[in-house]
Amino acid sequence: MKQFRKMVYPYLVWSTIMIAVPMLLILLYAFTTQGNTVTKFLFTFKNFKRFLTDTTFLNVLYTSLRIAVETTLICIILGYPTAYVIAKFSEKAKLRWVLVITLPTWINMLVRTYAWTGILQDDGVINSFLSIFKIGPIPLIYTDFAVILGMVYNFLPFMIIQIYTSLTKMDYSLKEAANDLGAGPAKTFLKITLPLSMPGVISGITLVFLPAVSSFCIPRMLGGGSYVMVGTIIESQFLTAGDWNFGSAISLIMAIIIMISMYITKKVDKGEKVEGASV
Amino acid sequence: MKKKGLALVLMLFVLSALSLCGCGSKEKLKIYLPGEYMSDDLVPNFEKLYDVKVDVELFDSNEMMYTKIMAGDTYDVLIPSDYMIERLIKEDYLQKIDISKITNFSSITPALKEAPYNLFDPDNSYSVPYFWGTVGIIYNTKNVPFEKVQSEEFEIFRDTDFAGKIYFYDSERDAFMIPFKSLGYSMNTSNEDEIMEAYNWLVDVNTTMDPITVTDDVIDGMAQGRKDLAIVYSGDAAYVLSENEDMSYYTPSCGTNVWVDAMVIPKNASNPDLAHKFIDYVISYDVALDNTEAVGYASVNEDVLKTVTAPGGLYDGNEAYLPRTGYEKDEVFNDNEFLRKRLSELWIKAKAAR
Amino acid sequence: MNKKKRIGSKIFLGIIVLFLYAPIIYTMVFSFNEGKSLTKFSGFSFKWYEKMFSNDTMMEALFYTIIVAILATIISTLVGTVTAIGLSKSRRAIKNVVEQVNQLPIMNPEIVTAIGLLMLFSFIHFEKGFFTMLLAHIMFCIPYVILSVMPKLRTLNPNLAEAAMDLGATPWQALTKVIVPECMPGIISGALIAFTMSFDDFVISYFVTGNGVSNISILVYTESRRINPSINALSTIIVVIITIALLLVNIIPSLASKKKSKVESIKEENIK
Repeated sequence: MKQFRKMVYPYLVWSTIMIAVPMLLILLYAFTTQGNTVTKFLFTFKNFKRFLTDTTFLNVLYTSLRIAVETTLICIILGYPTAYVIAKFSEKAKLRWVLVITLPTWINMLVRTYAWTGILQDDGVINSFLSIFKIGPIPLIYTDFAVILGMVYNFLPFMIIQIYTSLTKMDYSLKEAANDLGAGPAKTFLKITLPLSMPGVISGITLVFLPAVSSFCIPRMLGGGSYVMVGTIIESQFLTAGDWNFGSAISLIMAIIIMISMYITKKVDKGEKVEGASV
Repeated sequence: MKKKGLALVLMLFVLSALSLCGCGSKEKLKIYLPGEYMSDDLVPNFEKLYDVKVDVELFDSNEMMYTKIMAGDTYDVLIPSDYMIERLIKEDYLQKIDISKITNFSSITPALKEAPYNLFDPDNSYSVPYFWGTVGIIYNTKNVPFEKVQSEEFEIFRDTDFAGKIYFYDSERDAFMIPFKSLGYSMNTSNEDEIMEAYNWLVDVNTTMDPITVTDDVIDGMAQGRKDLAIVYSGDAAYVLSENEDMSYYTPSCGTNVWVDAMVIPKNASNPDLAHKFIDYVISYDVALDNTEAVGYASVNEDVLKTVTAPGGLYDGNEAYLPRTGYEKDEVFNDNEFLRKRLSELWIKAKAAR
Repeated sequence: MNKKKRIGSKIFLGIIVLFLYAPIIYTMVFSFNEGKSLTKFSGFSFKWYEKMFSNDTMMEALFYTIIVAILATIISTLVGTVTAIGLSKSRRAIKNVVEQVNQLPIMNPEIVTAIGLLMLFSFIHFEKGFFTMLLAHIMFCIPYVILSVMPKLRTLNPNLAEAAMDLGATPWQALTKVIVPECMPGIISGALIAFTMSFDDFVISYFVTGNGVSNISILVYTESRRINPSINALSTIIVVIITIALLLVNIIPSLASKKKSKVESIKEENIK
């Protein structure tokens, strides 16, 4: 079995160059500032201070986290049942449904979000429909609702697929065993299915929460420019303000927050595993 | 099954390798310009005329373009905005243009060779204008009386009568320009008090007026009449006016931003000779006429301007088409690093203040 | 009781699918719009399709998007699966290190990854173009593949491969005949995710490409100063292509299994 370990080596080299080095460069920029003096890089905490001591920036951070959490929760609420239903189909049907769910994601995200801007407009499809019943027009676009809708729409397939993957390879004999031993469907679900599908849920959360926190395209398109997210600030620092140092610092702060949240989720995951085994 | 997969992969590699080796010995020209800013026929016609291949790359903001130039990407022709050209000249990214090679140079409208339009490059040593215009107020004449626009000018964007009915442009330069001009300051000011006053002006707008702060959604939005007021570029306004006859355009007396986008040749251009030919081609009469008809922005060719604004011309009666000239309160943006960073940060804060 | 459940879940599934496909259908409908608007349908027209096909830049972008996506998917799925399997047998320390490093491209804002790569390529003076785009795509796809395969490996019975080798299989056979088939769903979903990420990518591609190499996302973003309905036409074509591909993927296996059962029934006849 140990021979398989060697298979990791090529990737170790690759990831050092392609992942680690760029990150180090970012670290370098975050902790330094382009001084006017001879030394090009002056070590400083100034960039971090600037972000963390500013209430507006902290509010923006909070908003990004809030939206990401809401998006992730809704994705789980909608995604889990969907994955559950699909996982029960026949082998052929399963594959078909997986492709049906994944197909929308192959259509360019910007285009699909543009479509939503059309659908949600005051003179768009939904409001035109409501006007038949003399309701509205309800402001749908440029609201919290639109942003979360757009985010969920974008990330839902990923959540579904991850949970589905876990559910699908679950050993159904365990379920049967539980049933034989007298457990009702609810108990079977809670004690067997749910814990065993947790790895999938965790993967799903990773694929949704992380990009959601740093997303700026969708909030901008569906929420308008006043929907300032952390991603927006970073983008403006790198592009408009040209302050790569500040931008790198903010990215690091975000990365640390995310690392902490992933660490917490990992702990939860381990806990779940132990529970599952105890059955 | 495995063998088939391998064959497929090999085939793909071969395909991609073939596509990379480029096509033949034609001369190549690389241009880099904003999206939707050039007639679809211009490049193919140029390619046919000179038997060359043109690579077109698009950017959506001057800043993005700058990032790539700074990273060392090579192009033959760029089309940035005035303040960016000023910066590129300062930082020595551009080469001088040999005006003798630009045979159509004399057909450039005189207004562009004078202040304020030529301030970023007074003798056209480095640039040849491409499109020009102003920034102004576009309003729905049915819901916003002209008298109001005339008396309040930019302050109309703080007039709570129109709360919830305005678009605001999502760009810190353009956004800050509005209060700067409205309060009577220069839009290039470095005075901290003036900057803070402008900042508070914007916070006011964001907290009391419920604006929709977007960039190009404004164009379709106003064409569809979704809101009553917006800040737009004159070229976009010209398009909206031609689509929606209820709309009108106004350049305020407090002055506004006037701008020029111009063609420049970077120092590391591989084919400056062909670049000159291209620039000359673009400002020639037929090409410029087609270009302004397709894009909607004001042409730099004097004869073209006369043709399209003449009675029966495409832009006859379109008050957004021809930019205001010679108005001393109008300003061009300067390149100012301090201001750039300061405004960027303040704009984010103003937006987040809702 | 069961029937109600089944209908209920079918309806639920239907709503989800409707939700997922609404914008796509909308895009397709409006690709035939006479006017430029995204909300008012003013008439039926093919003009955006004509414009799209005659647009060289668009066609080139389409080509590059597809090629990069296919190559990146194949390479990252291979490398990702191999690495994931290796990881599952590795020491805890290495596992943790790799998992942490893997998180970086996923959790970093795309723009940060993009800038990092831009800095890297400038640093080593690697001219930007097709290869840099491809490398970047492979770079951010592999973590997703690993992330997809790992859960499957975790629920995999660790003794199966050992048992196979005890019974005389070579490590290679154990790998290909036991481990890989077991994690197939994970590998496939990993490959699907990798393809999606690559096909759709904008920010990273934008910063690491050059030499006129563009992809659809870059084109959409930069050409949308005014809403360009040719993009709708392009998306519709993509939808059609992918749907055809899906149908093929579905029909071929069922044809293959029909053949199989035919062969088997013939064999049985002969045995009799």
